[in-house]
Amino acid sequence: MTARQPTIVPLFATPFALMPTGVTAELNAALAVLLGGRTTDEYRDAGLPRDALCFRSREDLFEWRVDTVGQLQREMLGGICTAVMAVNRCTEAEFDALGVQARARFAVVRPNGCLPAMSAPMASWYGVYCVAAPAAVPNRADSGTVRLYAAREGTMFMDPANSRLHAPYSGMHHLWRPVPGHLAVFPAGILHEVALNRADADLVLVMARVRFAHPGSAVPPW
Amino acid sequence: MSSAFAVPFGEARLRNCEQLNRELEALFLARETDEYRNPSPTHVPQQEMFESRFNLFRWSEPCVQELRAFVLDSVIQTLAEACELQPADLAQLQMHNHTWFHVTHYAGSFVAHNHPLASWSAVYCVRAGESLPDHPASGVLRFLDPRVGSDGYFDLANRHLRPAYALKCREIRLEEGQVVVFPSFIFHEVAPFYGRDTRITVATNCWFTESVAPKTP
Repeated sequence: MTARQPTIVPLFATPFALMPTGVTAELNAALAVLLGGRTTDEYRDAGLPRDALCFRSREDLFEWRVDTVGQLQREMLGGICTAVMAVNRCTEAEFDALGVQARARFAVVRPNGCLPAMSAPMASWYGVYCVAAPAAVPNRADSGTVRLYAAREGTMFMDPANSRLHAPYSGMHHLWRPVPGHLAVFPAGILHEVALNRADADLVLVMARVRFAHPGSAVPPW
Repeated sequence: MSSAFAVPFGEARLRNCEQLNRELEALFLARETDEYRNPSPTHVPQQEMFESRFNLFRWSEPCVQELRAFVLDSVIQTLAEACELQPADLAQLQMHNHTWFHVTHYAGSFVAHNHPLASWSAVYCVRAGESLPDHPASGVLRFLDPRVGSDGYFDLANRHLRPAYALKCREIRLEEGQVVVFPSFIFHEVAPFYGRDTRITVATNCWFTESVAPKTP
């Protein structure tokens, strides 16, 4: 090694935004009751495999005419737009001119339930909002976490000099433990899952595919 | 029409494997102990899944050696199909392997990973474990599509591609006696297993060097 210090910058980086929202504990509690009461076939996404340990609604949550859901929608889309704007080169005026489209569903991950690996097609960004989360489980670091897969880059060659890099170069999967009231935003193409919930209470999430379009421009169907 | 960027997958079944699998199962369950546990796992271990040391194919038990012959031969057959090497070239290769067994109990799983410093990997099913209609993904071996980002846009003309071209993960519910062989670079995972019994598999990573034996003229 030499005494000269290199200039090191992360290339090909993935933005992952954590956004506190203005959702109050009262609103979250009301949402938890509302969503928990709608884990029925009437609201279930019939296009997905039935899973007794994980309920996934249809992606029409933001079309519900329910005040609490409307408040959540505003908070989520506002947070997502803020995060997206923070990593964009377009001006605020250009960004403000864009129309926002979103499809959202809720998921209730029961004890021992999980959400399998997925990405979000036909969208550019993805938001995961936490309505309710169980306490962390000792010695089970990934219980109920959103795991973003680091499956894009890397090499099949490994030696001691590339196998223990520190963040953001490590190439390891990224874990986010959902916190009620918090929103995570990341590119929609990132493969992710919700790891097995090993707690004894439900994890309640709202997940939204989001995309943007110039006014009047043609947008492909969802 | 031809395939580009294709991923070779080999699949074979060991005939009349029931007796062998029961011997393997008894052996593995008897050795589901700290003495045989992988002392340096690459991923955070789970109490619901036991991973053995990587020297399984060096065990001398006849049932292990019979399995070794079948699994490694399946790997050879797959690479012979996928490579342009001639039989004489293949005969010059020295095959190395790391091989271990997994015993998965209720709610056990294995996170997505691949296997650097290997070229071919394989998974053999000793015991599939209980199949549960309420949990169709229980214990499936899920291979992630390496064409990252390709599933970001769908329309009517690419949503229903034939299986070889489909833009999605590939899931295999292994059956007893079945082995799948795939390139080691493919990310794969085991979905949570919800059976009341156990799911038992043997996995191997293979890499090859030129044989140290003198070449015949």
